[in-house]
Amino acid sequence: MVALQLDSLLVALMIAALLLLLTAVLPWILSVASSKSRVVKEELVEVVKCLKCDYESVRKYEKGDYVGKVVGSCPNDKGSLVVKAIYVERYTQTK
Amino acid sequence: MDGSNEIASYLIVLLFLASFLMNFTDIPQRIQMQRFSSFVRKRLYALEELEADTRRKAIAYMSSVGIKEPSKVLEGFIDNFFLIRPVDIEPTDIIKRLKHLIRVREGSVRDYVRTVLSEADRSIQYSVESVLEVVSALRLLNKLIRHYLELGLKYNNWILVMQLAMQIPEVVEVAKAYAGSIDAFSSGIPIGDSVGPLVAKMLVGWGEPTRELSEGTDLYEVEIDKRKVYVIKASGPGSNVGWPGEALERLVREYDGEIERIITVDAALKLESEESGEVAYGAGAAIGDPGPEKIAMERVASEHSIPLDAVVVKMSEAEALSPLSKKIYEGALRAYDTVLKIIREKVREGGTVVVIGVGNTVGVR
Repeated sequence: MVALQLDSLLVALMIAALLLLLTAVLPWILSVASSKSRVVKEELVEVVKCLKCDYESVRKYEKGDYVGKVVGSCPNDKGSLVVKAIYVERYTQTK
Repeated sequence: MDGSNEIASYLIVLLFLASFLMNFTDIPQRIQMQRFSSFVRKRLYALEELEADTRRKAIAYMSSVGIKEPSKVLEGFIDNFFLIRPVDIEPTDIIKRLKHLIRVREGSVRDYVRTVLSEADRSIQYSVESVLEVVSALRLLNKLIRHYLELGLKYNNWILVMQLAMQIPEVVEVAKAYAGSIDAFSSGIPIGDSVGPLVAKMLVGWGEPTRELSEGTDLYEVEIDKRKVYVIKASGPGSNVGWPGEALERLVREYDGEIERIITVDAALKLESEESGEVAYGAGAAIGDPGPEKIAMERVASEHSIPLDAVVVKMSEAEALSPLSKKIYEGALRAYDTVLKIIREKVREGGTVVVIGVGNTVGVR
């Protein structure tokens, strides 16, 4: 086995270079390690509401619908069902 | 001298040389400028791709609503219809002049769209206008970024290039939001900025307007807990913001100032530490127009000494332009409760209050 002979100055320089390298990549390591939630699925949904009773439900958005549009009748009392809101539902996953 | 000492000596010399180059020459700045300009250039390509994609979507949408030669219509719009702001060194009647110029520009845009889409419904015409404005805004954004990048490189202005590199991630986010809004405008989906009209629509129980107060701005009349409530919002469901200031002015004058309170509801830009969808209330006119509509509200309220309340839903600029998210929708529900609370607590029974749902009414009838 060959013994590697290094003097203390060279060792110090190598340690300094290593520390410099670590300082340079530290922000990147931290950003990768930090837990961030990312959006895995997006879905456009609409809230429909009965004008007579408290019936309200969330369903998939249908093309051409807008807030205030009458889209059918209430399953409870046959009152008019209107679109109350349209929004994007985002499903996220934490890394 | 053994081998390791020799390497150490070389390294020390190299260190001194590097230190000299770094401290006493422009080389680091030039290297940084190259790095930053390459960073900006990459994002600029992404922005240009975004613009091309938005153009394709705009052309497809215009074609679907029956516009012949949509690319010609698009090209005829982009780079035209600019607005030169009025002289502000002499501020007398500046609002009057600004209002006039804004109306002239809007009239020209409307006429331009009408000539190619005369048969279509007004809400479709409004949406086509918004789609054209979005593509035009993206074009301007790209031109500005390229302008500053080339200017920085031309004059070796590394500070300019560096500033651009620092700001470009934010610009890309806004551009993405603009690009995303084109889907909302063409499909008629509410965006974050639609919270004001959404709250207004909730207040009127999804009823129909009584009449049009000013062009593209409707008036609704309802009674809430024995208080007469006039609700003003832009005519939907096309992309439209209406003229809420002018409409309020007309309404208050019609009733000779016999209004107890005016409540404005709008989207407001959040600070980074704030949560999207947070609701806050205060005094003043919650409206983000260039001036004329806001000042009309302030003037008519102060002229008749009517308290002016503002209810805002906080969101980022990107969220304001993107399709409505669940968080913002929940914020709209809270804003609706806040408006009801103000009406119940600050307006006496039998009194009259005006609520204005400020913002783009796309997707909200």
